Order: sequence, then structure tokens, then C-alpha cells
Amino acid sequence: MIPLMLVVGFRTYKGRGLRLWVPLFLVWLLLLPLVLVLLPLAFLALAFLRVNPLRAVQTGWQLLTGLKGTRIEIQDGNALLLIRFF
Amino acid sequence: MNEERRQILEMLSAGKITTDEADRLLAALGSQPVAGSAAASAEPAAKSPPKYLRVMVEDHSEDTGNGKTQVNIRVPMQLLRAGVRLASLIPQPALNHATQALHEQGVQLDLSQLKPKNLEELVDHLSDLTVDVDEENTKVRVFCE
Repeated sequence: MIPLMLVVGFRTYKGRGLRLWVPLFLVWLLLLPLVLVLLPLAFLALAFLRVNPLRAVQTGWQLLTGLKGTRIEIQDGNALLLIRFF
Repeated sequence: MNEERRQILEMLSAGKITTDEADRLLAALGSQPVAGSAAASAEPAAKSPPKYLRVMVEDHSEDTGNGKTQVNIRVPMQLLRAGVRLASLIPQPALNHATQALHEQGVQLDLSQLKPKNLEELVDHLSDLTVDVDEENTKVRVFCE
């Protein structure tokens, strides 16, 4: 299952911060037509590089689905960077 | 009480063996695992494969200046697997170029000999990996969960 939600947050040393909840399912929906248009071009480029296009698509999909559950939190004093995929 | 113990006690009550012999036999039986639990003790419970690779760093040293520094990273194993599969998609000329650059740096590693199967085995065995670094002000932990 691909991630459907992304949380990106940061906080500065002064304590000001922002937390964004990005609805990835909407991003995927918006990107879908673009992907369909670019896919034949990507296939041609991959064939030119002698890379199996089907394998590349499969690996790309696995990368996308593998992102779910990824969590990165870096805190330095009061400053914070947070990235989470749900 | 299992069958062997019962037989020893019956032999003792029938006078076929002395109390010392019965004691020795019972002691010998005692050192063996009980039949019912033998299977359970022989094989440890099958562990479920780990889902995430965790990297945790805590730094309380003064030179960071801003107080405590913490890094907490959780990477799904599936993402690691996809990453190593991605490595297998690198075109051969690029691999040759990278191998040559490594040789120039004194690293005798032929990247073209790395097969996806080898890399997947590497990821599979990451579950056995635990790195613990404990210093006065710094702690680093790398493990799978």
C-alpha cells in the first residue's frame, strides 16, 4: 500500500514552527495523468539505457510502497525536523 | 507424573530395585527434559521478521551548544529491499565507471559482481544486526524491530 499521508514539521531554535499534513492520496491523483503521459518517454529512455523498463517500474512501485512507515526526527535543542509517511 | 517415573516407583514398591537405585534413576530422569515440553524447548519460538531498521542517536555533549541533540530514524525494511533492487538497475557502463573510480581510490570492489540476490541476503541478515555505542555524552543505537 502506498503512503496516503505525509507529515512534515519543523521548529526553529526560537520555538517557531510549522507542521504540515500533506494528503498524499490527492497528490497521487494529481500526478497520475502526468505519469501516464511521461511513462512512454520514460520507457524509451530506459530502453536506451538498456534497463528493463518493467523491472524499473516494479522497483519504483516497491520504493513508493516501502515509504509507508518511514519516520525521520531530528532534534537539536529546541529545533526540530520531522518527516513521517503514513 | 510420566510413565518412566511411575515404572521406577512401581519397581521400588515391588522390591525389584533398592531406594538408592530408584534415587539414581529418578535423578537421571530429572536431568532429561519432560517429553511434553521437549519440542517446545528444542526450538525457540519462531521470530517474526523485523519490519523496520531504527537508528537512534542521543548527544548531550556541551559542544553542540544548543542542548540535547536527538536523531530518531525508522526505515521500513521494504524500502531497504526496494533500494537494493534499485541498485541492480544501474546500467553496466555506469557500474564499470564506478568500479574504476573505486579502484583508483584503492577499493578493490567490483560492483558488477554484486547481484540482487546477494544484496537481498544482506538485508535479510540485517535483523541480526545491533550496534550500540555508549560514550559519556553520546549514545548511538542501530537495530531492527
